[in-house]
Amino acid sequence: MDSLKKALPWMLWMWLTAVILGAFLYAPAAVGFRGSSRILFFHVPMAWVSFLAFLTAGVQSLRYLYGGRDRRLDRSAAAAVELGLAFGVLATVTGAMWAKVMWGAYWNWDPRQTSILVALLFYAAYLALRAAIEDGEIRARLAGAYAVLGLVVAPFLYFVMPRMAEFTLHPEPVVNTAGKVDMDGKMVLVLMASLAGFTVLFYWMHNLCCRIQDLTDRTTRSRG
Amino acid sequence: MFAKEWRCELRTRYALSTLGLFAFTTLVVVSVSLGPLGLMKSQGSAVLPILFWIILLFSVAAGLPRAFVQEEESQTAIALRLAATPSSLFCGKLAYGLTVIFALEALITPIYMAIMGLSVRAPGQLILALAVGGYGLAAGSTLVAAIIAQARSKGTLFAVMAFPVLLPLLLLAIELTRNALGGEPSGVALSQLLLYDGAVTIAGLMLFPAVWNP
Repeated sequence: MDSLKKALPWMLWMWLTAVILGAFLYAPAAVGFRGSSRILFFHVPMAWVSFLAFLTAGVQSLRYLYGGRDRRLDRSAAAAVELGLAFGVLATVTGAMWAKVMWGAYWNWDPRQTSILVALLFYAAYLALRAAIEDGEIRARLAGAYAVLGLVVAPFLYFVMPRMAEFTLHPEPVVNTAGKVDMDGKMVLVLMASLAGFTVLFYWMHNLCCRIQDLTDRTTRSRG
Repeated sequence: MFAKEWRCELRTRYALSTLGLFAFTTLVVVSVSLGPLGLMKSQGSAVLPILFWIILLFSVAAGLPRAFVQEEESQTAIALRLAATPSSLFCGKLAYGLTVIFALEALITPIYMAIMGLSVRAPGQLILALAVGGYGLAAGSTLVAAIIAQARSKGTLFAVMAFPVLLPLLLLAIELTRNALGGEPSGVALSQLLLYDGAVTIAGLMLFPAVWNP
């Protein structure tokens, strides 16, 4: 078990290297997108990870508030939000770069651009709230409640925004409403590998953040 | 709870007078900035509902956080924790916020319509939009106000935290108001707005005990 833990970062590193090579050398460029479609192998996993991170933060906050008030759950939620923000900003920036190439403008208020922007604002506010409270117990309680409120409001963004915009230029998700995959087989393979790699990357980073937090807490407490 | 809120309010008349004045001043600023000619008719029905709801949003941000901040500052929060159950307290604060918002809407809507020269094709629908939108504003901001009351830099934090939460509501309320002005059917926006109100109320009732009780 211990050796597996040590091997994990190396396996992850090799896996992601393979994904990068695959994205540029193995997968073909999508017809009509020139080379720009290759950003998909990184942009989509980043957006996915930020979604996953915010979901994790919400679930951990729920568990904190209604399942025994274990402070580690609160720290885990905060770490997930920090990582989710980082990946969310990356997804937004890569998306904007691609939008400049394909649509001619960095920002078009496309429904997905709007919803990720509001999500980023929300979780930035979450961190601002945490920074504004000194007492650890109060901070955990209030930030937890706010994160759960985020879970409640988020679906409205996803349902309301697309209807408001009436149309979107955003390419269909890999698994769209029709349930069919509309992409070259090699591209799907690389994308899936990248999604898996990024998901593990997120959980590895999240684990590191939580452990660092635990250690910092312990040292400050032992110093009194 | 509700009665207590109003008794406190009537003693100082802070929220009503200041908020009313704040909303009116913002309205004047918007109107003056648009100039004596205002907008063209076709632009007006598209843009004016947006400005109207933004005025309301900022008035709410200026006034409603006080409901909880004042309890913490005057150190009556502890007495309240003993005297009332969290859910009755939440409902009381929500009802208070709701009446303040309705009073505000009743004050500025006619003035806004008159100054901007707006004609309403479906007045009933407009009132419905104001009621349902106002309720959502009250429910969302009551919970956020309860959260920020125990933090530092309360005023700024309220705006930062409440706006992402209230954004879906704002977009839906603007759409409803626009439909009411044009006399179009309210359609799916109304049901989504009602759903939002319901979801935020349930979330508020569920989360408030965790926010309020140490």
